[in-house]
Amino acid sequence: MMPAEPVRTTSPGVAAALRHALGWLVAGNAVGLWLAILQLKPGLAVGDWTYGRWVPVHLNVQLFGWTSLPLVAWLLHRYEVDRSKAAGWAGTAVWSWTTALAVGALWWLDGRTSGKIFLDWRDGSLWGLVAAMSVLWLVLAAACRERAPGWNTLRKRWSWAGLAILATVPFSMIYAASPRVYPPVDPTTGGPTGASLLGSTLIVITLMMLLPRAGAARGEGRAGWGTWTYLANCWLVFGAAEWIGGTHHQLHQIGAMALLLPWAWLIPWDWAGFEWPEGSRVWRAGLFLWWGLLVVSGVTMYLPGLLDRIKFTHGLVAHSHLAMAGFTTAFCGLVVVALGGKAMGGARSVAAWHLAVLGMIVVLALMGLAEGGSYDWMLETPWWRKAGLHFRACCGAVMLAASVVWWNNLRKI
Amino acid sequence: MTGVAVRAAVLIAAVYGTFLIFAQFAFVALLRAGGAGPAMERALLGAMAVTGILGGFLAAWGSPRVKSVRSALVAVGLSAALAPLAHHWMAWLAVAAVTGAALGVATVALSALVRGWCGVGWVGLGTGLGYACCNLPWVFNQSPEVQSWIGAGFAFTGALVIPRGGDWRAGAAAAPLRWWAAVAMFAALVWLDSAAFFIIQHVAELKAGSWGAGMCWRNALVHLLAALAAGQMLRRGGAGVVPVLAWALLAVAGLAANGRETLQLAGWLYPIGVSLYSTALIAWPAWFGGAQDPKQAGWRAAWLFALAGWVASANGIGMAQSLRVVPPGFVLAAGAVVLSAVLFSAKGSWRSALGPVLVLAAATAGTLKPAQPASLTAVERGRQVYLAEGCIHCHSQFLRPGRLDESLWGNAESTRNARAGVPVLIGNRRQGPDLATVGARRSTTWLREHFIAPAKFAPATSMPAYASLFRDGRGEDLIAYLQATANAAAGFNVAASADWTPAPDAAKPGPAAGAPMFAKWCVVCHGTSGKGDGELARKLTKPPMNLVNGPFLWTAGTDMLELKTARVIKFGIPGTDMPGHEVLTDEQLNALTAYVLSLRGGLKNGRDAFPKRPGE
Repeated sequence: MMPAEPVRTTSPGVAAALRHALGWLVAGNAVGLWLAILQLKPGLAVGDWTYGRWVPVHLNVQLFGWTSLPLVAWLLHRYEVDRSKAAGWAGTAVWSWTTALAVGALWWLDGRTSGKIFLDWRDGSLWGLVAAMSVLWLVLAAACRERAPGWNTLRKRWSWAGLAILATVPFSMIYAASPRVYPPVDPTTGGPTGASLLGSTLIVITLMMLLPRAGAARGEGRAGWGTWTYLANCWLVFGAAEWIGGTHHQLHQIGAMALLLPWAWLIPWDWAGFEWPEGSRVWRAGLFLWWGLLVVSGVTMYLPGLLDRIKFTHGLVAHSHLAMAGFTTAFCGLVVVALGGKAMGGARSVAAWHLAVLGMIVVLALMGLAEGGSYDWMLETPWWRKAGLHFRACCGAVMLAASVVWWNNLRKI
Repeated sequence: MTGVAVRAAVLIAAVYGTFLIFAQFAFVALLRAGGAGPAMERALLGAMAVTGILGGFLAAWGSPRVKSVRSALVAVGLSAALAPLAHHWMAWLAVAAVTGAALGVATVALSALVRGWCGVGWVGLGTGLGYACCNLPWVFNQSPEVQSWIGAGFAFTGALVIPRGGDWRAGAAAAPLRWWAAVAMFAALVWLDSAAFFIIQHVAELKAGSWGAGMCWRNALVHLLAALAAGQMLRRGGAGVVPVLAWALLAVAGLAANGRETLQLAGWLYPIGVSLYSTALIAWPAWFGGAQDPKQAGWRAAWLFALAGWVASANGIGMAQSLRVVPPGFVLAAGAVVLSAVLFSAKGSWRSALGPVLVLAAATAGTLKPAQPASLTAVERGRQVYLAEGCIHCHSQFLRPGRLDESLWGNAESTRNARAGVPVLIGNRRQGPDLATVGARRSTTWLREHFIAPAKFAPATSMPAYASLFRDGRGEDLIAYLQATANAAAGFNVAASADWTPAPDAAKPGPAAGAPMFAKWCVVCHGTSGKGDGELARKLTKPPMNLVNGPFLWTAGTDMLELKTARVIKFGIPGTDMPGHEVLTDEQLNALTAYVLSLRGGLKNGRDAFPKRPGE
């Protein structure tokens, strides 16, 4: 099968979104490295900007910068903003997004936080983000209005439906970021229920099912009615299990999580039916590897006994890095290659990134297992914890270096 | 051509050297030594700035020439040589006026002509040499009189080495930034640098931490290397990167200068940031200003040095005189100017700028809300401090049923309603213990001392010091919040202590094994000899127990003495500042118990094994 040509965009808006995404990845990694150093040398903190204030900066920059901006680029591409009269405003949307995130970073460093991980927007920072989302929506709507007459009926309907859904996002953000709203809690762990984990993962699965069908690749994929029905059923089970609630000791919550297992295979199987742009293979291979590990380890770690041991430890930090630094980065790398028409980096930087992530995950997971067995490390700081934190900082330095290389490569698209 | 380039670099070093060591340091010191008051000093430095601006424009108007540079350097050299002889305001005014005008001419003409003599990398060498020479100990530590003569020496040296001729060719590449953006960017950098420099120079502790004994050589070397690096970065297309990097370094240095613990960091980063932007400042008019000939470069230099040099410098110093610290808002404002200049001027358009303006307006509007009601209790305010400081990223407030949590920190029932909090503060990770019931397990005094210096209680802890919280009442509020759980969880320690015994199969090491643990966790209160005379003893509500002589209230008698002692170590003593050490293993507790009892019993082997703490 011949590989599909990359989109090779010259759109300033799409290119700007990709550049900003990589810029935020560099910033997020720099903060991550700084956090790793602060764990070893807390005295290096400057003024009030201690570890606790930098954490939300790291988390949100990775999610709302590195992860979100490639999707913004995807939207700009799908709605053909670059070919519309709104092309000149695409940069406005991207800069609005970046400014909102920068304002957020200042807010978090200033101690103005909502305390909601990954939804840490309040007061001015929330309104800044809502404004940025609104600017993006207006740009997309303007492009859609102009370009839609030339599209086929199906694409027209999907595009307008997409715009309608996107219009609700700012309001959803205002609701979800409210400190008064909190998802169900597993009473035995204080963490999310199996249903909640299923729901958040289904969002990712849905995105992965849509990505190649919305312009990132050519072809039709292998998923037929059976796969789509299974996806719909997973969403139904999520709704039911979330409504019932429960703990990780109960079968219906474990069963809800277990529904994810087939997706470790279904996604690669479906994607094999598409023609992907040249240069994207390395990212797809990485994505499938991390995706498989993420699903299998996520379900395994939810089981009674293991979750009890690793909850509140570096074991879950390892899983978060598997999700964000491993899987999400591979996903975003794929989007960048598909839209930017240019490889993000050479084999060395990509391999260095993945190896550093793998090393970090393994070490953090081992630390988590040790931390969950006995709490004396909280007072003692044993050698294995010091060594683990040092190793983590080294991995962070490698990841930062790789991201700088990628940003430098993409700077000129 | 290399000879010409070397002469150009020495000339740059000479001009920078004269400006720094004489105009910025020695002349000000001479004025103060001569009895000029603050008002007189401001007026004279103002006169220097005005003549400096006029001299710069004069040099641009008359087309920058080699002989202008030479004449100006001779003039400033004479002015510097004669400055120590001035003892009257009119003489000082003459020195200030001549120095300002001559430096104005010299800097503008040099900056305009230098492209004909050398590549931009040499500008880095010259800038670095200038800063390095001024930081050499036998220059930096001289009296103002000698420094004036050294400044004169720099000026005369510069006059002697000025290259002749040159090959001034305009580059094909467009200017990386619009001209007004470059001026604004350098103004922000000079503003930040001047304020930070003034504060560092006028606060004894800061000056000792940045230019103290033994640091001159370090600063000289750092300046030289950073300026060399800046020259190379500019040569390789980093015209936008150098100013942003300079701002980032100056920003961290400025903020670090505000804290005693981070002073050292400021001492390292400040000279790097200064050298980076100083190199770019000299190189900008000829290489990056879009000038097609020396005359155009001269006009650009005149405007740049007038607005970004003299005016921004005076503003920065004026601001620092009133504030005495580098406020974060001030640092961020400078950063916003630098970043905006680099980003929007380089690639963006007015549309790109409109988005950020809209977002910032929305963010500002979202911030405008009624002030926090004054009726908030200390506990409510403390909850907000807990949230703001991100305590949730290292501490949980959720006790899991049936887990180790319950046996160490309290009944899981006490956190059953954790989800009802607004916002929910369950937390996501434990770098340290669960804090749901910490108020019942730790006294107010202990919490305060632990927040101020956690490493004294656990030497390798990841917990940062929060002494700053106690400068404005936030610390007291935070403790009030943590203590609010005391009543709900009261009695846990007593009950848990009564129920607990070490596992029968836990190893029982001798006192020697407990000695290093005592050094790490007990000495800070009980002292090295265990007599209750530790470093924090006087700060505690009641003096810590004398473990050698007693009286022993909680572990009196000999009946179950080991168990009673181990229970006190593990769970603390309710109502006192004695904390529990809940997380220790039974083996560790056995060892520590053996050591503590060895102090009381006079078992010499235990005491002999006691290691000295560093510095004792």
